[in-house]
Amino acid sequence: MASLELIDVRKTYGSGHTEVVALDHATLTVGDDEIVALVGPSGSGKTTLLSIAGGLLSPTSGQVRVGGEDITRYTNRQRTRFRRRRVGFVFQQVNLVPFLTARENLLVMPRIAGRRDRAVLERADRLLAELGLTEQAHQLPATLSGGERQRVAIGRALMNEPALILVDEPTSALDTRLGEQVMQLIVDEVTSRHTAAVIVTHDPRMARFAHRRVEIVDGHLHAPAPA
Amino acid sequence: MYLALREIRRSRGRFALGVGAVGLLVFLILFQQTLLTNLLGFFTGGLANQSGDVVVYAADARRTLAGSVVPAETVDAVAAVPGVARAGPLHEATFTVRPAGGRDLLDGVLFGYRLGGPGHPTTLREGRLPRRDGEGVASAVDADAGFGLGEVVTVEPAPGAEPVRIRIVGLGDDLRFSVQPTVFVSTATFAAARRATNPAAAGAPVLPSAVVVETAAAADPAVVARRVTARVAGVEALTRDEAVASAPGVAATRQSFGVILGLAFVVVGLVVGFFLVILTVQKAGALALLRAVGAPAGLLVRSLLTQAFVLAAAGAGIGVVLLTAAAARSSPAFPISVDGPAVAATCAVLVALALAASAVSVRRVLRIDPLQAALGPSVGGLA
Repeated sequence: MASLELIDVRKTYGSGHTEVVALDHATLTVGDDEIVALVGPSGSGKTTLLSIAGGLLSPTSGQVRVGGEDITRYTNRQRTRFRRRRVGFVFQQVNLVPFLTARENLLVMPRIAGRRDRAVLERADRLLAELGLTEQAHQLPATLSGGERQRVAIGRALMNEPALILVDEPTSALDTRLGEQVMQLIVDEVTSRHTAAVIVTHDPRMARFAHRRVEIVDGHLHAPAPA
Repeated sequence: MYLALREIRRSRGRFALGVGAVGLLVFLILFQQTLLTNLLGFFTGGLANQSGDVVVYAADARRTLAGSVVPAETVDAVAAVPGVARAGPLHEATFTVRPAGGRDLLDGVLFGYRLGGPGHPTTLREGRLPRRDGEGVASAVDADAGFGLGEVVTVEPAPGAEPVRIRIVGLGDDLRFSVQPTVFVSTATFAAARRATNPAAAGAPVLPSAVVVETAAAADPAVVARRVTARVAGVEALTRDEAVASAPGVAATRQSFGVILGLAFVVVGLVVGFFLVILTVQKAGALALLRAVGAPAGLLVRSLLTQAFVLAAAGAGIGVVLLTAAAARSSPAFPISVDGPAVAATCAVLVALALAASAVSVRRVLRIDPLQAALGPSVGGLA
């Protein structure tokens, strides 16, 4: 079963002669265990595609399936629940809750799902250890370095064992060396969990970490190119 | 709770400022309420804390003791009305008195009632009720001003007349009237004081200001008052509470304080409301992130309401502590008391007000678009 299926998805904003097409008949399938790099210039529709795949946006037309679940016509409430259970997000500019420590930023995921058992505490600690953040577990985001914040965000995305991980420009705020380390970390963590991932980047050097590379220009997906 | 309490813990300074501001406002409200209670007590305590359930005025007296004079036979007419257990005369007038210890002359109020009958003070704190003429029960707040237990107060006579001496045998709480030291005495002592200050009227009878009624056990004072008004010519009978509310200055004082207190309540609401709006705007990015990763809007609203509750409840706690401290240091001349039920009711209203004041913030939280997490500026420290 594919982790993500976008079938002839179109997303437009506005109407009539003010209509803007952000995504134009996009079709994409991401298999289990597969890591796809979505590459394209600014304004090409990368974030829109990611938002539709993650249930943050509804498509204007077409069909979206995640882990076999058709989310195309979900209500806001259903999409909220879907995001909580099935998707892990790492946003473009490291997004952490500023008043929660690194560990609490991971624990907030099961908390909002109503889970507060010992297993989630152990999972958070294990993830922090894997990401090399044990010593930073009780630090607030403001006291962490850029790379450490990205790693916490990756940990949060993995916390609820999602079917699909969506990563938006994970290296845009990092230098090349740190960016490559973070990309390698994402690939390692995703691969070891047999989870699918779509990583959006405008940096071709980062795209080589993925199994497959897909280009997007002006809302059109181009045929898969070699990674 | 998870998010709300952690945010409070990590933003102690900010929340401490908010709680401090609310606490000071709560103290201001509670203090003003105490001030109002004291002031009204000083205005009407003597009338509010006498034993009559019903006060019968002359019909043309406009519900004031100072303007009321009733014929002596009215007492018997009132006593004959069904539902009246006992009726008796009540005299009230302001005299120039010299407190014990040779202190300066001052205005003081005498209440005259028939010893053993209705109209005696009901809040005796020390000593006893008068048993004979020449004895009196004074307002306890004036004990240090020459109205202490065992001291003798003198009604200053007109030239050539004999002074009237009253030995204070009891002290009662909240017995002041017209914001003056007040002494409850027998009708004979009151009449003697009247004659001493107005020798020209020495031969005339001293008529009561009003008739006070103790109602039968099963009788409703309001019903008895209406019945007295209907059956006895030339009088208007009021329940004790109505009589107190009708006393001069009470309505105006209540209205003035009502406006001040109302404004203070509004300011508390605005402070809490603005505080929460600022907080919500400042963490809009974090809230969008939480919505994006699947936090239901209801969870974020509950978190906000928890913070509003903590802010108001902690502020109320500070206000009560400050009021208690003020009460401990207050003087007998102007006592500040902590009225538990009234304070609890005020605090409950303030907490409810704080929750209502968070409505604007709740609306903002409900309107947060989780897509902003993907599109918006960073939160969490990275620019």
